[in-house]
Amino acid sequence: MKSYKFVFIPFLLLIISISCEKGETDKQKPEIDLSNAGAFPINCDTLYFGETFIFKVMFTDNAELGSYSIDIHHNFDHHSHSTEVTECSLDPKKSPVNPFVFIQDYSIPGGSKEYETNLSVVIPASNAIGPFDEGDYHFFISLTDKEGWSAQKGLSIKMRYR
Amino acid sequence: MLLLSMSFAHLSANAQIKYELSGVIVDENSQPLAGASVFLYPVEKGTFTDGQGRYSINGLNNGSYTIVVSFIGYRTLTDSIEIKGNSSFNFRLSFASINLQEVVVTDNYARIRQREEPLNIEIVNDDYLKQNLGGSLMKSLERLPGVGTIDIGSGHSKPVIRGLGFNRVVVVENNIKHEAQQWGSDHGLEIDQYAIDNIEVIKGPASLMYGSDAIGGVIDMKNRKIPADNSLGGTIDMAGKTNNDYLGTSVSVFGRKNWLFADFRATLLDYGDYKVPTDSIDIYSYRAPLHENHMRNTAGQEQDIHLSIGIIKPGFQSRLYISNISSKNGFFANAHGLEPRSVDTELHDRSGRDINYPYHQVNHFKVINTSQWKREKLKIESDLGFQRNFRQEWSQYVSHGYMPGVFPDSLDFDSDLERQFEKYVYSGNIKASYFQNEETLFSAGISSDYQNNSIDGRSFIIPAFKQFTIGVYAFVKHSFSVKSILQLGIRYDFGHLNTLSYYDWYPSPVIINNDTTFQFLIRADALNRSFSSISWSAGYNYNLPEFSFRANIGKSFRMPIAKELAANGVNYHHFSYEVGSPDLSPEISYQADAGIEYNSDKLAIGLTPFLNYFSNYIYLNPTAEHDRLYGNGNQVYYYTQSRVFRYGGEIHAHYQLLKSLQLGVMGEYVYSEQLSGDKKGFTLPFSPPASAIFNVKYQKQKVKRAENLYISIDYRLSAAQNNIVPPEETTEGYQVINIGFGGEIKVKNQKAIFSFQIQNLLNNKYFNHTSYYRLINVPEQGRNLVLSITLPFSGKTKQL
Repeated sequence: MKSYKFVFIPFLLLIISISCEKGETDKQKPEIDLSNAGAFPINCDTLYFGETFIFKVMFTDNAELGSYSIDIHHNFDHHSHSTEVTECSLDPKKSPVNPFVFIQDYSIPGGSKEYETNLSVVIPASNAIGPFDEGDYHFFISLTDKEGWSAQKGLSIKMRYR
Repeated sequence: MLLLSMSFAHLSANAQIKYELSGVIVDENSQPLAGASVFLYPVEKGTFTDGQGRYSINGLNNGSYTIVVSFIGYRTLTDSIEIKGNSSFNFRLSFASINLQEVVVTDNYARIRQREEPLNIEIVNDDYLKQNLGGSLMKSLERLPGVGTIDIGSGHSKPVIRGLGFNRVVVVENNIKHEAQQWGSDHGLEIDQYAIDNIEVIKGPASLMYGSDAIGGVIDMKNRKIPADNSLGGTIDMAGKTNNDYLGTSVSVFGRKNWLFADFRATLLDYGDYKVPTDSIDIYSYRAPLHENHMRNTAGQEQDIHLSIGIIKPGFQSRLYISNISSKNGFFANAHGLEPRSVDTELHDRSGRDINYPYHQVNHFKVINTSQWKREKLKIESDLGFQRNFRQEWSQYVSHGYMPGVFPDSLDFDSDLERQFEKYVYSGNIKASYFQNEETLFSAGISSDYQNNSIDGRSFIIPAFKQFTIGVYAFVKHSFSVKSILQLGIRYDFGHLNTLSYYDWYPSPVIINNDTTFQFLIRADALNRSFSSISWSAGYNYNLPEFSFRANIGKSFRMPIAKELAANGVNYHHFSYEVGSPDLSPEISYQADAGIEYNSDKLAIGLTPFLNYFSNYIYLNPTAEHDRLYGNGNQVYYYTQSRVFRYGGEIHAHYQLLKSLQLGVMGEYVYSEQLSGDKKGFTLPFSPPASAIFNVKYQKQKVKRAENLYISIDYRLSAAQNNIVPPEETTEGYQVINIGFGGEIKVKNQKAIFSFQIQNLLNNKYFNHTSYYRLINVPEQGRNLVLSITLPFSGKTKQL
């Protein structure tokens, strides 16, 4: 019986050794903040073909920000919903003919813990096929920090011709 | 055997000549038991029976001995025998259904294997699998200390040994390495858990015997049972589970006439969506509501058939296995693709059993021949294998990157075929063992395989490739005394990998000097890489009656796989963009293993620590970059290499409190740290947290018509995992209670073996850090009642 007890000792030591883990690595994700005044676009906003808009959001991280990307793709089949609390009214489902696609990645100045974008994005009026499909689109923002942690936001937007 | 005994008889005049003990071990149905252990006290000599159940032990003096005969799944038999000259004794073992719960210490076969094997191994058989039946083979083995799984859904899991998985664990079925798309995390092993009667798990690197990839460990499955002469029999297995409305049945029929034997098995499984104790899932920042706790679209089905034909003659045995495993499983519909998705809930929530998009289907066909020739001192074994793995992922066409919004009808694949892999694998092994004398065994062998993998579908992740590997090894085992055994081995491996180039099927915009042109982008360049490595291993066992010690040091290696060298595409479960590095070098691992076991009548304790160092561990490193040309601006993960230090171990102990009441504890712990590279200071992905199982088991031999009854309570305690690496989340600790209860009922001549489990008794909501769905916050299965029934039947049997 005596020897039975000593079985638990190394086991308890193991439990203790894991509970005092090291805290030197960065384990915090960056954040995308759309709540500042003037943030654009936010959920349910409209972008117009053939125009330029200013992408304005706030990025923060505890250590150092990495990069971000923007992706705009159609949501005619309602496959996406936003990460935001507000619900937007969607147009009826439809099939794409010439949907607009935009994918771009952007750097953030090294050493930044905070970065507010002020990026002008040109949306063309048409491509080789012709004018783009109007309707529901999905605006996807992805942000990384230098360690490789990431955060995403997905917005429901409309894209139209003015 | 008798002839052999007589041939020695004329020598008995000489007093110096020692005698031989021989005989045959059979089971209740007089089937010879191959691989049963026979151990003789007090001389501590032991052996295993051959394919015909025969054993022999040489060098014995006249006198009284105690013989212990055991085989997993059977009651251990202890008898006193008298040796007067060359003697022959035959033994019959009876089935036991419960002695495997703690196989590590109660089973003599396992104990002897462990006493002779310097690596740490666990051995279980089919009874253990039925008593611990999980959603997949690996789930059923998860209870073993140091063994874990990486899961996705209820029916798929991949083996993890001491925190290493995927291509770092070799799965071997009937001596041939199981080859599929092991790198993929979203599907399981194409193995029918009903068709397995014996599994050995080697914890630690075993490249020496198993080649590249066995850097983390080995799951080795062998069909060891051979039917008795003139017998005909079979089993019907049935299982049901409440959590995912699982129904499974497997029927086998076997028979033998003289030297020819055969068995056939068919398995059918069908299950619905599994249920989790939550009503919504937070996929990153998206919330997906669940319908009636169903993990939407995780239903599945599987159909397997197996046929084996064998011949058994004195000194020669050969067996042909043919099997086909076919399965189809849905993926959680909200979390497959480029981003979390809204789904047509009307379609998906109509039935919990249907499989809609996205899903995958796999067909794995295998033909294996294993043969062995045995002469007095020489044994030659050969294995030949052919495998075809065909896997498809289907999902609704979603253009991503610059794929056209409308799928063109000019292409030769279906718009909804996301990915397709077809792999042909040809394998061969030859091994020769020379038993120089009682003390020394030499073994040498060659193993080789050739793989040809082609791809199809709309989306790219890995290129088509051809791969050839060959390994040559030599091994010596020497017993200085019955107590002390030394093993040394060395191996040379060579491998060549040729990946093919891949161009997109659609053009993407390329901007050069402000001019935009549309080009068919190259995703993977053709690549030719050759690798070679020398591995070695040295092990020592020292066995006393109650204590045993073992130690092993070795170097193992692993060739980089096509995915690590040439991946370039989106991971549809992680929403990440994965990129290979064409100049990776082979992984090299050095490991020291030790084992200390104490066994007495009432108490058994074992401790198996290890230290491990990788000079260049290959892993997928999430970076700060984003991709611009394929998915939807996904974060880029690059394959990279870093130095890694790992240590950990397992502990198990059992105490027989009363004759029928046993207490047990099993624990495991692994610590990993990257010593260099971008993630210096971080752990490795999917590091299992420390965990322990406390077990109470009560057994009763007989209650009225029921025999071998047991009730077992497992209290699983898992620590929190705060040691994480991007993109993981910390996982809280948890407690789960599982109850098992079972036995055998005999009505007239029909026996029924049943086991009943309640998994997650309290319906706790908890997260498993090594579940693939952990990243999207999917809790583990809620309460699950599992019933498994086995009905053995037999025709004519001839007594010996």
